[in-house]
Amino acid sequence: MRRRDFLKLGVSSLLASQLPGTLLGQTAQPVVAVCQGTDHAAITRKVIAGLGGMKAFVKPGNTVVVKPNMGWDRKPEYAANTHPLVVKTIVEECLSSGARRVKVFDHTCNDARRCYENSGIQTALGGMKNVDVRFVENDRFRKTALNGRFLKEWPLYDDALAADVFINVPIAKHHSLTGLTLGLKNMMGIMADNRGYIHRKIEDALSDVSSVVKSHLVIIDATRILTDHGPQGGNLKDVKVLNTVIASRDIVAADAYATTLFGMKPQDIPTTVTAHKRGLGEMDVKKMKVLSFRF
Amino acid sequence: MKLPASRISQLLFLALFLFLFIITDYRGKDEITVAVNSFFRANPLVLASYVLAVKGFTFLLLPALVMAVCTLLLGRFFCGWICPLGTVIDLVTHWIPKSTSIRSLKGSFKYCLLFTLLVMALFSVNLSGILDPIAILVRALTLFFYPLFGYVVRAGWSGLYQIAGEERDNVAFLYGFLRDYILPFRETFYPLAFLSLAVFLFILVLERFERRNWCRNICPLGTLLGLLGRFSLFRRIPSRICKDCGDCRSHCPSAFDEDILQADNCIRCMQCRVQCRFGRVEFPLRWKRPFRSISEGQGQPVMSRRILLVSLVSGFFLSRAFSFRHPERDRRLLRPPGVKDEGDFLNKCVRCGECMKVCLRSALYPDLTRAGVTGLFMPVIIPRLGYCEYNCTLCGQVCPTGAIPRLPLDEKRKSVIGTAVIDRNICLPYAKKLNCLVCEEHCPIPEKAIRFETVEDIDHRGKKITLKRPYIVDDLCNGCGICENKCPLEGRSAVEVFARKKG
Repeated sequence: MRRRDFLKLGVSSLLASQLPGTLLGQTAQPVVAVCQGTDHAAITRKVIAGLGGMKAFVKPGNTVVVKPNMGWDRKPEYAANTHPLVVKTIVEECLSSGARRVKVFDHTCNDARRCYENSGIQTALGGMKNVDVRFVENDRFRKTALNGRFLKEWPLYDDALAADVFINVPIAKHHSLTGLTLGLKNMMGIMADNRGYIHRKIEDALSDVSSVVKSHLVIIDATRILTDHGPQGGNLKDVKVLNTVIASRDIVAADAYATTLFGMKPQDIPTTVTAHKRGLGEMDVKKMKVLSFRF
Repeated sequence: MKLPASRISQLLFLALFLFLFIITDYRGKDEITVAVNSFFRANPLVLASYVLAVKGFTFLLLPALVMAVCTLLLGRFFCGWICPLGTVIDLVTHWIPKSTSIRSLKGSFKYCLLFTLLVMALFSVNLSGILDPIAILVRALTLFFYPLFGYVVRAGWSGLYQIAGEERDNVAFLYGFLRDYILPFRETFYPLAFLSLAVFLFILVLERFERRNWCRNICPLGTLLGLLGRFSLFRRIPSRICKDCGDCRSHCPSAFDEDILQADNCIRCMQCRVQCRFGRVEFPLRWKRPFRSISEGQGQPVMSRRILLVSLVSGFFLSRAFSFRHPERDRRLLRPPGVKDEGDFLNKCVRCGECMKVCLRSALYPDLTRAGVTGLFMPVIIPRLGYCEYNCTLCGQVCPTGAIPRLPLDEKRKSVIGTAVIDRNICLPYAKKLNCLVCEEHCPIPEKAIRFETVEDIDHRGKKITLKRPYIVDDLCNGCGICENKCPLEGRSAVEVFARKKG
């Protein structure tokens, strides 16, 4: 590569990263891959393949953060945390695409040790090489300028900021305040301190965070969803098994599509609406290219 | 210098004690099989005060009964072979120059102290844990040394980065080991850290006067064991300092205050036997050597009626002197899960601090003010600092006497610590017309003890808004305190847990 080419590429990519999503992200039709089937590992691989495979996201030598929701001290069947098998499959895909290191963490609500253990994620990833399943350490949060509508700055987790690829892996579940908690809400897991503070203006706060920390890939675990008493649940009556996984590069599109699984409309979820208005992605399912697979 | 077996035993038990202390923690399992509570379950002082206070027995303390029987047979060997506090004293006492012993501590002081404690226990104020040597040590570790150790290592690790930069990664495995297996998981600082340290240091400072000063003149456990040891099958002979030698004065750590052996204070450490140049010292079975009352009885105060009488009176008065309870503070007296009755808790709690050590979310703290003097060091939940984890039963598992009952998980989830109360004057949806609902989100009860009503309202700028306003369902609330803990208001929480009478 000649110097001129290099400079061109550098400047244009720098510019591109600064352009709002309305100009770039939405001109192209967002792709949402959905797969249904009882083999959770297979359907996870399928949706990733639907988006062009993990190699489209993870380059050899990359450091990847896989951020599941494992905020609660609940067993997998209670649908409060991302399914361990989904997380494990994603981590495997990252490694086989040449990731140098895969970091899996969440800033938990309940005791971190119990959450990591009982979510099944720590055990599922146990013994895998080049995979870090570490508890969040307070001194690794870095005060980050967000310059958002609600949050001007907030300490965010260094690993998430420093990662080459950030893969957002929420579970689809009910949430009393925001209606549902999906990809946008899962980003609270990289925030430090008194996160409850943002509840008072959560729509803008979540968009503020996702404007700065981009999810390169969003994979929503809807293998089983929590339909009520979220985000924590605790009652199997509130759990519905859907055996579905959704993936998209577009966080709003992924969230919007997942909303339909609950029989709700994306416009019912204020966090999705705000994120769409602020150019973070597409919320109209008709404008998405939905690739449906079934096993 | 020859090393008597007791020294090796002491070091092994100290290591065991520290090991058990470290593993008294959540290690990925819901059950803790062994914990440092073993040292309390084998503690005859804990047994005696428990039996007197509760007027009953518990099989949790069966090892203490075994220990008492062993002491009856062998004498006061616990202090010289097992007691970790005694070992710590032995390890440091060489570095402390001695002056003369304190006269006022000699004589019947320790007997009065022990019997006063026991009489108080009889009148349902069980304070023996405050002066129990194992409890003193565990408290000093839990409340002061262990958090300090964690802080020092963590800060040191951060500081090392400033000095060594990336080079630090070369020893990362070392730090990783410490962090994963030794250090406290959470950085917690405790109230009364200073007091528990002070008590511990006081015992070491006592070594300024004579060796094992605490053990021979104050320690209520040692005194009790000494009394039991009077019936021992073995006697130390010769029972006085030999006229031609007198080395035992310096070898013996505890029993030769005077020329005659203080049998109550002989801790069977065998130093004298190992060190004796003439091979004179023996511990024969009592029936082999006729019991010689002259030498045995002298020099140690006989358990006179006076001591018993003084203890009875002082114990009775002391047990009632601190009965005053402040109603406002009682309302925030949140005891660990499963504790139903405050009186029963006071009878059984050893104040050992193990529940505080094991508490996952650092919810438990030693009490100073809420329950008055008699509640000193007993655990209370301070929800703003830490809440009771819904699926955790660890405190009930490590409690040596069952003061915090060991409950199956579903029972523990339902056991009531208190009830949350929302203060509408500061709670955001009420006071500021802002949505929040953090408390409701965190409430672990599947049916939700915190629910909300959705209301249309007009905010302070005149805009129409939809508000979700939380309220408490008293019958479902178990008072775990996660709502108070997570309430995003700065400083005081808008939802607070108050104790309630339990049915």
